[in-house]
Amino acid sequence: MSEGYEILSLDDLGAYPRPQDDGPLLMRLGLKAFGANCWTADVGSHVVPRHEEDSGHEELYVIVRGRATFTVGDETFGAPSGTLVHVPAGATREAIAEEPDTVVLVAGATPGEAFQAFGWEEVVVAFAEGRAGRVEEGRTALHDAAAHRPPSWEHPYNFACYEARFGDVDAAFGYLREAVSGAPSDQIGGYLEGDDDLARLRDDPRWQELAG
Amino acid sequence: MNVAHIDELDRIELDDGFVWRPIRRRFNIRAFGVNAYTPREAGAQVIEEHTEERLGHEEIYLVLRGRAQFTVDGNEHELGPGQLVFLRDPSLRRGAVGLTADTVVLALGGKPGFAHEPSAWEAMFAAVPAAREEHWDEAIRVHEEALAEHPDHPALLYNLACMEARGDRHLDALLHLQRAVALEPKWAEYAAKDPDFDSIRTEPGFPAA
Repeated sequence: MSEGYEILSLDDLGAYPRPQDDGPLLMRLGLKAFGANCWTADVGSHVVPRHEEDSGHEELYVIVRGRATFTVGDETFGAPSGTLVHVPAGATREAIAEEPDTVVLVAGATPGEAFQAFGWEEVVVAFAEGRAGRVEEGRTALHDAAAHRPPSWEHPYNFACYEARFGDVDAAFGYLREAVSGAPSDQIGGYLEGDDDLARLRDDPRWQELAG
Repeated sequence: MNVAHIDELDRIELDDGFVWRPIRRRFNIRAFGVNAYTPREAGAQVIEEHTEERLGHEEIYLVLRGRAQFTVDGNEHELGPGQLVFLRDPSLRRGAVGLTADTVVLALGGKPGFAHEPSAWEAMFAAVPAAREEHWDEAIRVHEEALAEHPDHPALLYNLACMEARGDRHLDALLHLQRAVALEPKWAEYAAKDPDFDSIRTEPGFPAA
């Protein structure tokens, strides 16, 4: 096999909980033209979380295996394997797994724009490493994510969350300071209030300096 | 609602034995390319032999059902449900045979670094049923729609000229054929032998091979 192609089974992607299980296809293959990922979940759980695509992505969901119940806007319908569901960016969508081993592939991108990966897959993988006790591996994954993306306050914010959860509180405050100074206040404020990842920091006197 | 089962997609059988099941056109997806393919019968082609050099697309082929024998860059791989081949190199030759009659392969593609543009070949494939039935007005309409997005696509212009010549729109046929040849001279050689142009071959201005 050459470097120009590869063969893969969706079952070999691994499953990274977020809370439904993410099979990071985009990251695994290094996709550059469009986004694609796989989702799995226990029966009765969300296999596609309820959300809209603020990104502007239109998305196609493909039920590869099993069965799911989709809700798009006000409509709810059963989706056995082989079903294709196209959802424009603004529509609210969610799906519940109805059979064991249900696998949903999603592909997406923004019409009229060159695709740019957001890098959330690497963050999901990093946190999964941290939860598994492989803290240094998680740090490496976060560094990789930041190195391949345009500069953003979200990078130090993700590091702050990671360190607060799995690592060093002093480092977490350092990263959080960097994130706060670089972020528009209307964007980061909600995260500071509601993000469980930061819970360990909130009793520290330094928290008031930043969030107060 | 924008929902369909793969078995409900249109079936457009093409000459090499594979059946195009259009998804992008069905849902008017604009951000990336996506289609399904099935074989005409067990042992028939399911993905045509081709490269993506002209379009520069990276592609995923995912087997949704059945089994397919892929040939990629000269190497053979038998894939079953949930297995995929990802080709990041557009120059690699790829194709597949459906080993079972119920095989379905999902193809996803796009060009890294560029906003997606629907490929002109989709219109040429989509016009096949109308052309087979000699419904030339419909075949021409499908081509003209695509031409609005790809005004200088030589193969599209050539195919449109074929439909117009068959549909007794001789002047339009001649003008579109001339434009195709101006953009890509090799089409003059094809036109010289193409029976679609028998009705306009003696017209002044018919491109010389």
